[in-house]
Amino acid sequence: MTSVIGKSVKRTDTLGKVTGGAVYAGDVVLPGMLHGKTKRATVAHARIESIDVGKALALPGVKAILTHADVPRVLHYGSPHPRSASVTQDQYILDTKVRYYGEGVAAVAATSEEIAELACELIEVAYEPLPAVLTVEDALKPGAPSIHDVGPGGNLVLDPFVITRGDPEKGFAEADLIVEGEYGMGRPTPAYMEPNVCVCQWDPLGKLTIWTSTQSPFMVRGTLAEVLGLPLNKVRVLVDHMGGGFGAKQDLFQHEFLCALLAQRTRRPVRMEFTRKETFLGGRTRHPGTVWIRQGFRRDGTITAREARVVFNSGAYGSHGPGVTAVGTAALTSLYRCENVRLEGRCVYTNTPIAGAFRGYGVVQTYYALDILMDEAAETLGMDPAALKLLNAVREGDIAPSNHPITGHGLEDCIRRGIEETGWAARGSRPPAKQTGRLRRGWGMGCEMHGSSAYPGIKEQGNAVVRMNEDGSVTLMTGTTGLGTGAHTALAQITAEELGVKFEDVAVVHGDTDVVPWDIGAFASHTTFMAGRACQMAAAQVKAKVLARAADRLEVSAADLDIRDSVITVKGVPGMSMTVRDAIAAEKGIPAPQLLGEGSYHPTKSYSFAAHFVEVEVDTETGQVSVLQVVPVHEIGKIIHPIAAAGQIEGGIQQGIGHTLSEDFVVDQRDGRPLNASFVDYKMPLAMDMPPIRTIILETAPSDGGPFGAKGVGEDPIIAIGPAIANAIYDAIGVRFRHYPITPEQILAALADKDEAQAA
Amino acid sequence: MHPFAYFEPKTLDETIALLSQHGRAADLMAGGTDLLVEIKEHIRRPAAVINLKTIPGLAELACDAATGLRIGALVTVRTIETSPAVQRLYPALAGAAREIGSIQIRNRATVVGNVCRASPSADTLPPLIAFGAHVEMVGPAGTRSLPLEAFFTGPGKTALGADEVVTAIVLPPPAAQAGSDYIKHGRRRAMELATVGVAVSLRRDGDVCRDLRIVLGAVAPTPIRARAAEALLEGVAPDEATVAAAGRAARDEARPISNVRASADYRRAMVAVLTRRAVAAAWERTGREIQP
Repeated sequence: MTSVIGKSVKRTDTLGKVTGGAVYAGDVVLPGMLHGKTKRATVAHARIESIDVGKALALPGVKAILTHADVPRVLHYGSPHPRSASVTQDQYILDTKVRYYGEGVAAVAATSEEIAELACELIEVAYEPLPAVLTVEDALKPGAPSIHDVGPGGNLVLDPFVITRGDPEKGFAEADLIVEGEYGMGRPTPAYMEPNVCVCQWDPLGKLTIWTSTQSPFMVRGTLAEVLGLPLNKVRVLVDHMGGGFGAKQDLFQHEFLCALLAQRTRRPVRMEFTRKETFLGGRTRHPGTVWIRQGFRRDGTITAREARVVFNSGAYGSHGPGVTAVGTAALTSLYRCENVRLEGRCVYTNTPIAGAFRGYGVVQTYYALDILMDEAAETLGMDPAALKLLNAVREGDIAPSNHPITGHGLEDCIRRGIEETGWAARGSRPPAKQTGRLRRGWGMGCEMHGSSAYPGIKEQGNAVVRMNEDGSVTLMTGTTGLGTGAHTALAQITAEELGVKFEDVAVVHGDTDVVPWDIGAFASHTTFMAGRACQMAAAQVKAKVLARAADRLEVSAADLDIRDSVITVKGVPGMSMTVRDAIAAEKGIPAPQLLGEGSYHPTKSYSFAAHFVEVEVDTETGQVSVLQVVPVHEIGKIIHPIAAAGQIEGGIQQGIGHTLSEDFVVDQRDGRPLNASFVDYKMPLAMDMPPIRTIILETAPSDGGPFGAKGVGEDPIIAIGPAIANAIYDAIGVRFRHYPITPEQILAALADKDEAQAA
Repeated sequence: MHPFAYFEPKTLDETIALLSQHGRAADLMAGGTDLLVEIKEHIRRPAAVINLKTIPGLAELACDAATGLRIGALVTVRTIETSPAVQRLYPALAGAAREIGSIQIRNRATVVGNVCRASPSADTLPPLIAFGAHVEMVGPAGTRSLPLEAFFTGPGKTALGADEVVTAIVLPPPAAQAGSDYIKHGRRRAMELATVGVAVSLRRDGDVCRDLRIVLGAVAPTPIRARAAEALLEGVAPDEATVAAAGRAARDEARPISNVRASADYRRAMVAVLTRRAVAAAWERTGREIQP
């Protein structure tokens, strides 16, 4: 029986956020602070012939301008974990070449943001245009213009990523039915609430302090130190609170380097903040792409073989292309068990906005394809799609994408529970798409699994330092970032539970790389899982020290003691107790030794599972789709904070509905200019568009590695909702869509084609 | 944001004098919900901004069945949306007001501002034209009035002189047995620009439909009347076939463009659907159903 775990305690960040007291990077105001702006390219592919900053420099209030001639020319990684295989080393702070519309070509620091903006307009850049390569098809053509000099060539970000398991030829030969399809994905962007922002300041001894909205402060420290040629203790990164990141803020952006250099040049603090438009132009998107899959089935529905070719559009830089390609492609080894697989993933440079890390990391795309193909196969096999997915669901002992064996029966549990909750069997007896009215309803379901942590792709490590103060209160130091997910609350809960103190007695210190233990960053659904386990380990050490001291005082064995709500009790001796505060109080005037615990956890691999069940209604006159209800069933091992976990799931569903039905950042196919770099024409679902969500969370397959059995939940909910909606649309109108977003216009056109075909 | 001179005139005369001095380089500001965003995003660079909110008497709303509706230049969209009299007498206008932005936006934005901005997709324009609104203006030569239908000359362009101010929009009283409706088509349910907007106003004379006005938004450089569609229904007892025919006629009158929001073909198809639905809804508000 736990006392803090599993309870929706009041979050540690709530009061600060609702009162405005919580400090975000953009809130930092320093004396003498200047404002920086990035001059952005208005061509998609060009060599820079010259940059004339004369007029801009002459503008009163302009303090410094940087072009490629003024910044260190160090080829660096765009993303935070430069020593993993996930990322590419293909960026300069400012280059002599432009690779996408919106790329920074110069930066200005001025006494006001307005003057900096004006100065950017006065900078004159002469371009020698190069042919822009805007599609993967064009980029892969022999003789296509080369976007980068690094990498394997042919505009590939990495060599093709290939996985083979078993004997695919034999598997396909044994199949009674082979189903194949090609699926296409648009370009959603994370659209986090807080635009990228940073403030940089140098002290007189040459130490850089940067307040920045990042998911990975230690990676910012590492990359900045490397590029600027500083030791790590001369770069201090501060991030107290963030307004979201969704993966994209793992990258280091041009402005973070430029802000540091402008502050160095002017010897004054400099602040740089993206406009909303810049979050589109200079941000990171999900990888657009195509996924071709072929699967063999026996008559009974068992999968005999799977083959897939994944091609992702990386945009102008590699960013997380290698990681996304590997994780997305490898995900196709699993979800639905199959011994014979051959998979190939490619990632291709184009002169379009940069694709990067984004919640769901390649798996959104590949499972969208896989789960729609499963529905197509179910129809041909004459089976209920949920039954087909349950039959093939990955389970205990199966080999996961990470090559670790799966623990438990999480996916089967999710599918079964969803079938029960939705009365799926009753709905399944209705022949699909036989409705004739204007409004037609349908049900669909989709499944997913997602690893907690990026291990073994990245050799990760979670760290925590727990200190008990003289009054029995506890200070937890963590390097994890608070994106707004409530992770710090979860870590405090885990610490309190393990140590036996009240949740309110744990204070969390975070957000300062000079103080807190190293952390890889908040991503890969791993903060609660990995840092949480480190907190548990550190708390256990402190608990042992407290009990050893109490054992002396009570003259009993420490093994017979336990702590609950900060009171130490003796097992089997009712009435004999001592408060933690008394136990650690000074004895004969001599204080207790420092009560410090430190945990370092190298994760094992765990997977969380989900099945989403969705009902939609299609207006056959307008093509508009309304999502009427969602029943998401997630298996996450152990719930730490029910409201926060449900919040993750609801937020993921909101983003997933957007991906599937409306969100697409579109580039003009003539010149690479983005067509909807604003919320005027990039539409995410809002509160009024959201259906009722009946979230069910299971704890049937706890992880050996996670704290109290907990696994991740951050990325899972964005994955299964997409194919569930696509499958529900098919159920409603009998038209199969193999791409996202599925727009009203496409639905109308497809319905017209269907009517025409039926009439013929 | 570019620098600009900022004025808070206390009278209309003072405003006209400022306009005469600055000409087209000046922008009038009421709610500022469009103007300030456009200035911040460098879409508009006025040399002067003249705030009308310091002029007394421009925020008056008068609405009753006998005299009609008068919307002063500073009346907010939210006021129109929540006015029980407007909801009762001009339901298509109250409905269109509810479709604009968010509540926060509607608390600032003005109907007259929505009109003067002259966006082809503006939500209040089709119902105002359908209700036969007039624009009242004042300039150096005095006041004048123009049917709203004749006010728009292109996207963002109106018949308003450089030295004139719109003081009010005036709607005639609704007829007996009147019905109206506005339907907006967008990519989501709120915080959206119309892909297509259709307003209908009519009155029922016994069993037949009279004085029909069908106005299409977002499918031409300005809001347009679908006159062929109106003619099909004038003096007719509307049945499903006729209403559908009117929808198709309206579709053929639309002159939409293709952009990232929708293709021209899709917009045309939606004009047919929305016109049919809006005529039916307006007719139902007169107490009758469309005959099968």
